[in-house]
Amino acid sequence: MIHSYLYLSIILFCLGVVGVISRRNVFTVFMSIELMLNSANLAFIAFSRVHESMDGHVLAMMVMAVAAAEAALALAVVILLHKHKSKLDTNVFSLLKG
Amino acid sequence: MTNDLMLLLPLIIVGVGAIALMLASAYKIINNTSAALGSALVFAVAFLVQLSFCLKGNAVLFSDTFNGILVANTFSKGAGLVILACGLFTSLSSQTYFKQNDFCSPEYYSLTVFAASGMLLLTMTQELISAFVALEIMSLAIYILVGYNRKNVVAAEAVLKYLMLGAFAGAFLTMGTAFVYGQTGTTQFAKIGQYIAANGFTQSPAIIGGAFFILVAFLFKAAAFPFHAWVIDVYDGASMPITGYMATGLKTAIFAVFANFLVADAQLHAGWITFLFYVSVLTMFAGNLIAIGQYSLKRMLAASGIVHSGYLLIALVAVSTEAFSGAVIAYYLAAYAAGTLGIFSALSYLSGKDEKRVTFDDFKGLAKVRPYSAAAISIFLLSMAGIPPTAGFMGKFYIITSAIDAGQVTLAVLGIISSVISMWYYLRLIINMYFYEAEESFADTVPSSLASACTFALAFCVFAISLYPLAI
Repeated sequence: MIHSYLYLSIILFCLGVVGVISRRNVFTVFMSIELMLNSANLAFIAFSRVHESMDGHVLAMMVMAVAAAEAALALAVVILLHKHKSKLDTNVFSLLKG
Repeated sequence: MTNDLMLLLPLIIVGVGAIALMLASAYKIINNTSAALGSALVFAVAFLVQLSFCLKGNAVLFSDTFNGILVANTFSKGAGLVILACGLFTSLSSQTYFKQNDFCSPEYYSLTVFAASGMLLLTMTQELISAFVALEIMSLAIYILVGYNRKNVVAAEAVLKYLMLGAFAGAFLTMGTAFVYGQTGTTQFAKIGQYIAANGFTQSPAIIGGAFFILVAFLFKAAAFPFHAWVIDVYDGASMPITGYMATGLKTAIFAVFANFLVADAQLHAGWITFLFYVSVLTMFAGNLIAIGQYSLKRMLAASGIVHSGYLLIALVAVSTEAFSGAVIAYYLAAYAAGTLGIFSALSYLSGKDEKRVTFDDFKGLAKVRPYSAAAISIFLLSMAGIPPTAGFMGKFYIITSAIDAGQVTLAVLGIISSVISMWYYLRLIINMYFYEAEESFADTVPSSLASACTFALAFCVFAISLYPLAI
């Protein structure tokens, strides 16, 4: 039973990675990152059940709090970018070429 | 108890100072200058408190309350001193920088202090989730500081790249933590070490995978080879003092937590030695190649930051897990911080309005017009290149000898070769400053300022650190 949760968590994480790499919209990229963080939360909760302790729940709460702070900043950045270019396609932002 | 409180006091001062500055700016009771001096004061007081408290060995802070997640030792204290000094010089040179750039508000200084509190926490933490939280405290403040110039589209683009990739790396850190937690049932470094010592590192795929994800996140933040591409763009987009702050303070914090994690167990360290060996070699040479091709001074310094990460990775490969002191790493970080911060505080007052002087050619003939500034910049560049008797030379010397002691002779030789290659781009600026006629008068630079005071103080530090002996 516990394996199903872990497989789901890994599938969600991989979906997040694919989303970050392949999507060109800034919003979708940030959503994919949130998906990755939440898949880690699912893994924490599942492992917490395996170990029969509450540690994993506490860790998941911590990650959620940090993810919320990050999302707040990400939305601010999205608004900033939209003001500059009126578009949220990452291809538009190519002034810096590393 | 009192002892623990004293050891935690620098972190408390910095945290309370950051919140106080943020409240004061929200109620508009301070202006930019007093915010700059206030943040410098917070850093100075925290630095003195940190310095006043002598420390040998490991002190677990509030072991009942915090369950052993915060540990103060000589290494964390040394790294903390470097971070606080970086913060101090950054606030002071920012004050000068904002005389010619007009996007400042008092919150800027509050965020600088917030970032420092995250960094300090990162040096002391011995637990993966608190490391993640500290990393995000630091990173979130730095993201905002990178994009602080909201009218500048380049800065907006830099913060987009940094936030996207930084959050991506943070997600890897949490997933790695989840795997390690799943296998070991704990997230504390010491207990993970005990588990690995009892059960073996290569026995469980969850620990290998988890540790790999965690390493990826740290390597990303430290700008090591496969994850270095963001650093040049982000440094280019950020303002001068913040670039210096990111290159020094942030790197110090990351390498502190990286070393603390790696030395949790000998098998864990041994398992990643080959990987870290190749990463450090590729980081050094990729950084050098990028730096040689740059025309912009800021981008060259960003690329040279990658090379210095490579040297620090040599120190991580060579670190001994039994008698870990971190002295070599902390020393190199201090030496590198003095040089890099120095050059960025010099650029803070020399680059002119809206950072118009950024390329090598813009600094042609600086020595004819501003001889002292040019001399100070030359000292910093020579220190970064590793010419005796500067601190950079001693730092490299300790790293190379520690690599040879650990039996990594190939790595030591490659480190020296990389150091020789790096002369090319450091000496190029010195040649530009000294062997050309001045094309302009540099008249618009701020004449005597806090940033120039910082520059000369740091030039002194470069020699002072080199005289400080290190017992290996």
